[in-house]
Amino acid sequence: MARMLTFNIFRFNPQDEGSKPKMQTFKIEETDSMTLFIALHKIREEQDPSLMFDFCCRAGICGACGMIINGRPELACHTKTKDLPKVTTLMPLPVFKLVGDLSVDTGTWFRQMYQNSESWIHTNKEFDPNAPEERMSNETANAIYDLDRCIECGCCVASCGTARMRPEFMAPAGLMRVARFMVDPRDQRDSEDFYEIIGSDEGVFGCMGLLACEDTCPKDLPLQDQLGYLRKKMGITAIKHLIPGRKG
Amino acid sequence: MSSKHLRTGHVRSFSRMDGYLDFFQMLSGIGLILFMWSHMFFVATVLLSPRLFNFVAWLFEATYMANVAGVIIAMILISHFILAARKMPFKRNEFGEITKHALLINHKDTWKWLIQVVSGMIILVMGLAHVWVVLSAEPMNIGGKELIISATSSASRVANGWLLYYMVLLLVVEVHIGIGFYRLGVKWGYISRETRPFWKRIELAVTASFIVLGVAVLYTLLKYSEVSGI
Amino acid sequence: MKTIYTDLLCVGAGLAGERVAVEAAQAGHSVICLSIVPARRSHSSAAQGGMQAALGNSIMGEGDNPDIHFEDTVKGSDWGADQEVARMFTEAAPIEMRRLAHWGVPWNRIVPGEQTYYKGGKPFTAVEKEENEGLIHSRAFGGTAKWRTCYAADGTGHSVLYTLDNKIAELGVEVHDKVEAISLIHDGKHCYGAIVRCLKTGELSKYIAKATLIATGGFGRIYRNSTNAVINDGGGTIIALDTGVVPLANMEAIQFHPTGIVPTDILVTEGCRGDGGTLLDKDKHRFMPDYEPDKAELASRDVVSRRMTEHMAKGKGVESPYGTHLWLDIRHLGEKHIKTKLREVEEICNYFLGVDPITELIPVRPTQHYCMGGIRTNKDGATYGLKGLFSAGEAACWDMHGFNRLGGNSLSETVVAGGIVGDKIVEFLDKFTGEVSTKAADKAYKKATEKVEKLLAEAGQSGGESVYAIREEMFDILEQAAFIYRNGKDLEQAVEKLQALLKKSEGIKLLSNGKGASPEMALAIKMQGMIKLAQCVCYGALKRTESRGSHTREDFPERNDQVWLNRTLATWKEGEYLPTLSYEEASPYYEMPPGERGYGDGKIIQADLDKLPKKPTKSKKSKAGE
Repeated sequence: MARMLTFNIFRFNPQDEGSKPKMQTFKIEETDSMTLFIALHKIREEQDPSLMFDFCCRAGICGACGMIINGRPELACHTKTKDLPKVTTLMPLPVFKLVGDLSVDTGTWFRQMYQNSESWIHTNKEFDPNAPEERMSNETANAIYDLDRCIECGCCVASCGTARMRPEFMAPAGLMRVARFMVDPRDQRDSEDFYEIIGSDEGVFGCMGLLACEDTCPKDLPLQDQLGYLRKKMGITAIKHLIPGRKG
Repeated sequence: MSSKHLRTGHVRSFSRMDGYLDFFQMLSGIGLILFMWSHMFFVATVLLSPRLFNFVAWLFEATYMANVAGVIIAMILISHFILAARKMPFKRNEFGEITKHALLINHKDTWKWLIQVVSGMIILVMGLAHVWVVLSAEPMNIGGKELIISATSSASRVANGWLLYYMVLLLVVEVHIGIGFYRLGVKWGYISRETRPFWKRIELAVTASFIVLGVAVLYTLLKYSEVSGI
Repeated sequence: MKTIYTDLLCVGAGLAGERVAVEAAQAGHSVICLSIVPARRSHSSAAQGGMQAALGNSIMGEGDNPDIHFEDTVKGSDWGADQEVARMFTEAAPIEMRRLAHWGVPWNRIVPGEQTYYKGGKPFTAVEKEENEGLIHSRAFGGTAKWRTCYAADGTGHSVLYTLDNKIAELGVEVHDKVEAISLIHDGKHCYGAIVRCLKTGELSKYIAKATLIATGGFGRIYRNSTNAVINDGGGTIIALDTGVVPLANMEAIQFHPTGIVPTDILVTEGCRGDGGTLLDKDKHRFMPDYEPDKAELASRDVVSRRMTEHMAKGKGVESPYGTHLWLDIRHLGEKHIKTKLREVEEICNYFLGVDPITELIPVRPTQHYCMGGIRTNKDGATYGLKGLFSAGEAACWDMHGFNRLGGNSLSETVVAGGIVGDKIVEFLDKFTGEVSTKAADKAYKKATEKVEKLLAEAGQSGGESVYAIREEMFDILEQAAFIYRNGKDLEQAVEKLQALLKKSEGIKLLSNGKGASPEMALAIKMQGMIKLAQCVCYGALKRTESRGSHTREDFPERNDQVWLNRTLATWKEGEYLPTLSYEEASPYYEMPPGERGYGDGKIIQADLDKLPKKPTKSKKSKAGE
């Protein structure tokens, strides 16, 4: 027998004066291979067309559908209902501005992050269309790609206690972005340059090591190891200046 | 801050201060952990014999280590608190947000951090009070030596209403230390994704062992007070 | 109401839109990109496989050059491509890959020495040259003579999009996300921007621009089963068609991907087959070599999709609660290969199916995948009907794909075309002297507001049509008539039904109150446009009485170069229920005259080759006869 699934969903439409924040319950019958992508669309199309949520690629690649699923920030599209209990609570990601119901505005947050973290290759080399490409070892390419896999779903940001308390904190996603450029030999910035970006309590020293990011990242990015590496590297960059005889 | 234009606050001034502060937070933390472990091993000598305890106490006192260390430890404790306070949720909305956050997301390490914040505040008050009480006590004549710290004076405090106080202090200190040393390892990259489960078990084991050890010390002191009729 | 002015308005911030934006911003023009989702969620990010460019660095791509790439592309298009455009594309692609490398894309690189690769499921070794160490690597993709597809593990689209969006951030281009252009501002001759609905608040704004680019990707979501992201519902294509003067081209040319997983139709990359994955039937028999002895699983997409459908029709498919499917087998590639080179594939199978591809078979079936057709542009990316309106990427029919595009060519097209069209837009903007028409903007705004206000006023009233029910009807019609195999009878019915559905859709009323970011409102605004796109597909398919590339008519199985070596153009006049079709020559000249593709074994009714326009004489060499 198919299970009857219950979803308790956060409801609020800030654009509608008549809307008050509340939890609303929906019931649907489970079908084989059902994911939250299928379930939520079923609810919208059959029960409440006003229900707001975000999906895009529905394949875990684009990061649109981050939400809190039974207390855990997750991508809804790759959450199979067979892995869920009979009653599931769905909440929008915190930290980001609410658009409505389960939909939040991650775009604005991340675009600000690109500026704060200077998320691009810094180089004074000009591109020469007639020259062959600059060489790079495949290992380096893979190392960059490994950190470039972030899909900006916002789960790490939403799970981060520091980000929740301190809006100016760069959050795991911002710090990881800097780590991505640190391993890229095409970027000419050195440790001192990176220190200017993340060497503060708004940057890596603000991280309190709660590891909620590490535990929730749907892409399994090496957050813990990278954040530790960044703190050590930036710590050393700072401490070097305390050693007498070194130029400050 | 030599440049006057920075005084306006309109120019972002580059500073390494946050790096230094974070580094010293770690150093002070490590210092306190090492001290607390040594402290526990010292008081645990009472398990072997009260005379050994008194002998070690005499060593510290005769070399004035006890007084000097007491003052230094108190200062480190206060510094550590001030350094760590940079991250604490002192503003009402901050505390509200982090509590709601912990309630929203189902995540143990986040709860552990809250425990650390609360235990840190308790330690600041109870720990300093403890240092003050111990070091300002009237010296007693134990085996011909004038001692401020002795098995007898400790036993008498435990027997005369301080037991609960020490039970609480023991618990908060060990929990704080356990979480603290795990978190230091994580924050500074010495505990990796791969070794994290291992260190979590170590954290638990160390915390539990020290609590057991502490309880045993308190029990021994209580017994000692009965035996010696204090 | 906000009015925002800019030099260039890019509707769509995927690879094509952002590549154009970079070009314009670097030339000093103000640019605003609009995106229905945060830009990096654009569907470009989902393209896993790679980008074709004839770099010829890898040993399996040795000797490759733009000529061979051109031939593959034209053959792949079944001679439907604009050969001048295909030429421009193949020449520019290698430079573009290098440019992307300079900007930060972590292309996989050549590791010298003996390497193990796979072809047709069997491993073989090849020695990569020492002197090519560290140059951009390439992998195999269907329908190509050489291994030509540059890749960044299997997140090529993701990595390139992130790199371009970083570039955008560096250049300070404004990106407005969670907004949707719902109509174009134009006076019948020029386009001056768009009316835009905010998907956070529901507000409408005027974006007034000297030049407007539509780069909103494909319209695959007019089909029920599609590998496309849910945002690919043709919004940009619809607003171009709605002008009544801008033609869409080759709308009947829809590609189906052989390997969408069952049931969610998520695409697993062609890289699986390129790296040696095989297709099996219900008896675990590898059937592709029976049909295509030479290329087997690596024949072009339309051929593989058709063979799969054919094989399932013979009763060789696997029955499941979600219909018939086949198996994709990549087990023999090994854990290491799957976990590095095909990591996204491994994730998709585990996360969405609960299948471990290292030990289990993946259920797959052909599913809608790509729209070769779209807004017709010339080689500069300018649309036919309106000055100042451009298009690039999947939204456009620039037309290097003709009736079938090769895997890896479309992703490559986004950036290559983006660069070329961007350059032309800069020229256009530099020469721009006229005034933008605020009158046209007011008119467009008024019309859009009336439409939205009518929907809001009638929201919740009884007796209306449900937008979701209407969409289901459209899905049914397309599935029945305009899937892989098509025939005149079904298509005629579909055309009739879609006319009736378009009428019916005039009675759509919202069930919810439609306030704010209402998803129901967003769909209701474009539902009629979607039906029109569906009609363009069906009507074009009905009229095209031949089989070419992915357009397969059971009743006209041969490719008819005598009559149909051309491109369908569809415009839609206001108040009509059918598009107006006309036709233009497929290519301004035929550097490569129509011939055999070498796979698919379709019959050809030959054109009179002497009468076809030849390439102007300044060309370096003729490819005739190959």
